[in-house]
Amino acid sequence: MFACRHIALTQFRNYRFESFNFNENIIGIYGQNGSGKTNLLDAIYYLCFTKSSFNRPDAQSVKDGFAGFRIDGRFEKNKEEHKLVCILRENNRKEFLADEESYTRFSEHIGKYPCVMIAPDDVSLITEGSEERRKFIDTLLSQLQHDYLEQLIAYNKILQQRNSFLKFAAERNNYDEQLLEILNSQLLEKGNFIYERRQQFLNEFLPQVLAQYISIADKDDKLSLEYESQLNNNTFEELLQQNLQRDLYLQRTGTGIHKDDMVIELKQTTFKNIASQGQRKSLLFAFKLAAFETLKTIKGFAPILLLDDVFEKLDEKRMENLLQYVCVQSGAQVFITDTHKDRLQQSFIKIGKGYNLIGL
Amino acid sequence: MQFSSSLLENAVNEFARFPGIGKKTALRMVLHLLKQDESITENFSETIARMRRDIKFCQRCNNVSDADICSICANSLRNQSLICVVENLRDVIAIENTQQFSGTYHILGGVISPLDGIGPDQLQIESLVQRIQKEQTEELIFALSPNIQGDTTIYYIQKKIKDFNCRITTIARGIAFGGDLEYADELTLGRSLQNRMPVDKYISH
Ligand SMILES: Nc1ncnc2c1ncn2[C@@H]1O[C@H](COP(=O)(O)OP(=O)(O)OP(=O)(O)O)[C@@H](O)[C@H]1O
Ligand SMILES: [Mg+2]
Ligand SMILES: [Zn+2]
Repeated sequence: MFACRHIALTQFRNYRFESFNFNENIIGIYGQNGSGKTNLLDAIYYLCFTKSSFNRPDAQSVKDGFAGFRIDGRFEKNKEEHKLVCILRENNRKEFLADEESYTRFSEHIGKYPCVMIAPDDVSLITEGSEERRKFIDTLLSQLQHDYLEQLIAYNKILQQRNSFLKFAAERNNYDEQLLEILNSQLLEKGNFIYERRQQFLNEFLPQVLAQYISIADKDDKLSLEYESQLNNNTFEELLQQNLQRDLYLQRTGTGIHKDDMVIELKQTTFKNIASQGQRKSLLFAFKLAAFETLKTIKGFAPILLLDDVFEKLDEKRMENLLQYVCVQSGAQVFITDTHKDRLQQSFIKIGKGYNLIGL
Repeated sequence: MQFSSSLLENAVNEFARFPGIGKKTALRMVLHLLKQDESITENFSETIARMRRDIKFCQRCNNVSDADICSICANSLRNQSLICVVENLRDVIAIENTQQFSGTYHILGGVISPLDGIGPDQLQIESLVQRIQKEQTEELIFALSPNIQGDTTIYYIQKKIKDFNCRITTIARGIAFGGDLEYADELTLGRSLQNRMPVDKYISH
């Protein structure tokens, strides 16, 4: 069993100092709008990923009027207890400790405490631009393969260097060809690595998403999912060469794996343009649950599931199926938030397993 | 902070310019000087002023020096055909402290990082290339930060001197995990200087 058993929040968002115990594997968190449900889930997410699930600077998580925050967590993994601590110091320096040892690189932590969050804003995975979908794949792959995250970080650094180089070149109307060759070869090495890993992974992963979708939506909607990359048709090296003039003109790198996407189509039309709200939600859950299953298979234990406001998202029957799955079959510790205490409690009673109910 | 003397205040402000020195510490330093004989302060200011006025940078390796050529370059007991390429003066001091290196140095003044506005032109790369050609250097040891910019710099210089008959190695760069050479302790640094490896081996990691 992998589970979070205790968490203490100090000066984190709306919490001055508060601690919570989770001795069961089903945890319901209820409270009015703005009472801190999402913040509590995000604190657990913080300990799993060393950062917020929202793209916000750490400093914004400090309670208004205070300096610094601290999140203390106790986790159970393979019957052993682990302590995780995330501290943002007064000077905004972040520290992360696992069993009293601080990491030199936060990326080392990723994947050791896997978790999957499903939150209302996540439909952006389907409705927004390609960046959201890359972020999803990257977050998942980083938890599965340690070297992936390292190479991705390196790729992004080299990309920034190359873009700055292009800017320089435009300003001076002249550039150092040898330096560009070096930057290209550095970018190529990392880019090809990431491309291969994404391709390999998505080959297996996307069919699983489809299967999940069919089981959630209860019918085959003629959905298709495909990994799209400029590298599918040309080598990265050719692409960089062909695009050099354009890159110099636009002062940024127009080709590479930072342009990758997942193409989602329904009956050969872009999914987000024709899919109903319900279909979108079903697909979102399909992505997340497939991610959960993949993590579970590869890690050998179930990641923690953080479900924020999911009751608002599905009709009653689907909701019942989903709860049955996450609370019983999944083998995971699951956190579920809702504004209605009764609704949560009724659902849990129906499931018939032990649960904690926490009111905020 | 309120002072009854603007002379004192000015002195405190000057000390407070140093990195890591706040007003409080600065005040302690100034009060310390006040307690002592006048001549000590005179000697102190004169030493500092002379250091800044008379210091030179070695024409060969860019190290700080009293003469046109630094004492390391001028030392005939050191292996003059071996150059250790470093980013800055602090790296030289760190490596010298290990007493494990008896070649010469070349201080680049940083690493290539377009993002920080540093291209090859801003660094002592051209002077290094010319030096290798002129002196027929036998081996170049890179001791640069273990990061992307360090890599870029190594590859770039490697490309520039590929036609010369100069062996290129790098010290095991894991030693300073993400930090500067100055943080590596003397023992590990000394050991890694002896167990250096060819660059291509390092690169394909
Ligand atoms: N840095 C901060 N300092 C103090 N309060 C904060 C900070 N950041 C967020 N909050 C507060 O936390 C509350 C939001 O909490 P949260 O989003 O967890 O609510 P919620 O229970 O999930 O609500 P909903 O049901 O609407 O989703 C808001 O009242 C917000 O003002
Ligand atoms: Mg919320
Ligand atoms: Zn010298």
